[in-house]
Amino acid sequence: MFRKMIAREAKIAFWCLLPAVAFLMVFMFYPIFYVILMSFFKTNRLGNLVSYTGLGNYRFLFRRPEFWTIILRSCVWTALAVAVKTAFGLVIALSLNTDFWGRKVARSLVVIPWASSVPISAMLWQWTYNNDFGLLNHTLKTLGIWKNPPVWLAYPKPAFFANLWVDIWCGIPFMALVFLAGLQAIPTELYEAADIDGASSFAKFRFVTLPLLSGVLTVATLLSTLWTFNDFNVIYILTKGGPANSTDILITYIYKYAFQYLRFGPAASMAVITFIILLAVSIIYARAYFRERS
Amino acid sequence: MKKLLVVSVVLVLFFAFSSVAWAQNQLRVMWAEYDGLTPEYAENLEKAFEKAYPDIDLVIISTPWNEFHDRLITYVAGGQPPDLSVIGTRWLLELLDMGVIEPIEKWLSEDLKNNIDPALLEGKVRGVLYGLPVAAGTRLMYYRSDIIDKPPETFEEMLQIALKINDPENKFYAVGMIGQKYVELTEYAYYLFGNGGYFFEILPDGSYGKCTVNDEAGVGALAFMNDLVNKYKVTQPGVTAYKRDEVQNLFISGNLGIILSGGFTATLLEQHNVPFKWDVAPMPHFEGKPQSTLIVTDSIVMFKDSKVKEAAGKFLDFFYSDEWRLEFDKLVGFPPVTKSLANHPYFQKPVYKVMIQQIPNAKGWPLMPEWPECNDIIWSNIEATFLGQKTPQQAMDDAAAEIDALRGF
Repeated sequence: MFRKMIAREAKIAFWCLLPAVAFLMVFMFYPIFYVILMSFFKTNRLGNLVSYTGLGNYRFLFRRPEFWTIILRSCVWTALAVAVKTAFGLVIALSLNTDFWGRKVARSLVVIPWASSVPISAMLWQWTYNNDFGLLNHTLKTLGIWKNPPVWLAYPKPAFFANLWVDIWCGIPFMALVFLAGLQAIPTELYEAADIDGASSFAKFRFVTLPLLSGVLTVATLLSTLWTFNDFNVIYILTKGGPANSTDILITYIYKYAFQYLRFGPAASMAVITFIILLAVSIIYARAYFRERS
Repeated sequence: MKKLLVVSVVLVLFFAFSSVAWAQNQLRVMWAEYDGLTPEYAENLEKAFEKAYPDIDLVIISTPWNEFHDRLITYVAGGQPPDLSVIGTRWLLELLDMGVIEPIEKWLSEDLKNNIDPALLEGKVRGVLYGLPVAAGTRLMYYRSDIIDKPPETFEEMLQIALKINDPENKFYAVGMIGQKYVELTEYAYYLFGNGGYFFEILPDGSYGKCTVNDEAGVGALAFMNDLVNKYKVTQPGVTAYKRDEVQNLFISGNLGIILSGGFTATLLEQHNVPFKWDVAPMPHFEGKPQSTLIVTDSIVMFKDSKVKEAAGKFLDFFYSDEWRLEFDKLVGFPPVTKSLANHPYFQKPVYKVMIQQIPNAKGWPLMPEWPECNDIIWSNIEATFLGQKTPQQAMDDAAAEIDALRGF
């Protein structure tokens, strides 16, 4: 009887799950499979497979010096952005976790960059960076902070950091909110016990907050790493990868090959490389996370 | 229960069939947001067309020029091309190579065919008409006539004037320069053509040979541009951050003495009712070289997969009627492409006269499927020169080598 019931339940579960599985197969696994397949083929301008080229597309990429520069830049971009987002996010979360007048307003204000869409934020920053009519240089000059500030989007290093800042600006609220949620889950008794032991604020942060926040930290930084590595909007809107390709990262390079040059084979190979890099990062994170849990 | 089931089935079928009928009569037109063209124009056109043809649902998909190529390609590659689309005529071979374009002639009325100036039919490939001209015009020079007495005829004269009027302390720069990568390589084309050069060697059969941007004319053109930017510093600072609209905005706001641009700038200057005097003159050339400028044509094409080709033909007839074309031409600032408007009093202004006067010696973009990538390669090397990473010779040698390798030379 019991076995029969289980079998019936399994059947129902199977039929209930089937649409979701079919959806995943069609909309998630098939595109991934097709892109992997495409990376081994020569394609026409519509992205249809024409002839098998083996590792030809990969060889083409690996022989291009700028490809390695772009990989390195993508890693630097991601590492810097995630580090700064994490640091700022943590500081903001710690501040918002303390009791002060106007805390509710402050919490709402922090969400604004995240609540606005990234393209709109990037366009606002494009105007802010504008050398002739922009707020940033005007403020820097008027306040006498910087007499001759750079034309931010015109030169490789300022353009890179200008892009980076916008990505950071858009990403901080997420980190702050996640950390704030994590902080609020820490039992207050632990802090009270630490107070009784005479622990300093830093000691409480080091030995109570940080260990209990580590799980949230790991997951948030992993998500942030994946998003930042694939952040297309900011760079595309601000500099389109320029000047002289100095702000191109892997994701903008993929776009160029696919939709500007219509060379879907190399674009697919780059997408596969991106997938491998991010998969490796995710595995490392996951192992660290589960080791900690166990 | 049974009743409810029957009602549900009927409703589902009704909506399914009505959506099919709706989709069958929907005409999707990809529409370029030309500088000067107002959104109201497209809205009014849509309303007026739907009033004249109530059975057709016209959907105008407005897209900025700088994103137009990529968005169109995304639609096409995704198997969802529009029914009609404006294109830069230089993209025609790329689309033909993809096999997605329909010969347009049989869908046009005789009146419309006879009303188009045959000299503007650049969308004709191997005798087959694929694209109807939407806009065509040569590029020219705009200058501040309240500051510059006589417009320069040569680039060398332009430099002399620039050195006199440049006043960066007061945010007034002599020459505007587009330096940020854009869908069109216009700035370099002005100096290259004015130096007697071209992007490719033209073979006896009319096809394109090796890339020639690293010859004397090509390198000389870039060296001169680089001198304007880095040696004489008579352009706005940080040129690599400036797109076309931003350079135009600088001229409109009175911060530039000279810009090289198209007819649309005149429309914008009029729309903004600028407080200073300005005028136009033919594009300068280098001393000892013939005057030559860039002619840009845009076309409207039909896609093979369109299910509403007849409706598309009706839309073209409607859009090319004098009433709608006159307003469109006025807004975009191009001379008329229809014969019926050629002698209209509006087009007797200096800006149109200069554009028409330059046509005989003007050169167009190369018509080749790989052009978007070649365009990008040359742009990157020009930017590298402006940033001091390469000399003009190195930059153009690199560009030519990469383009030749890409094209199998």
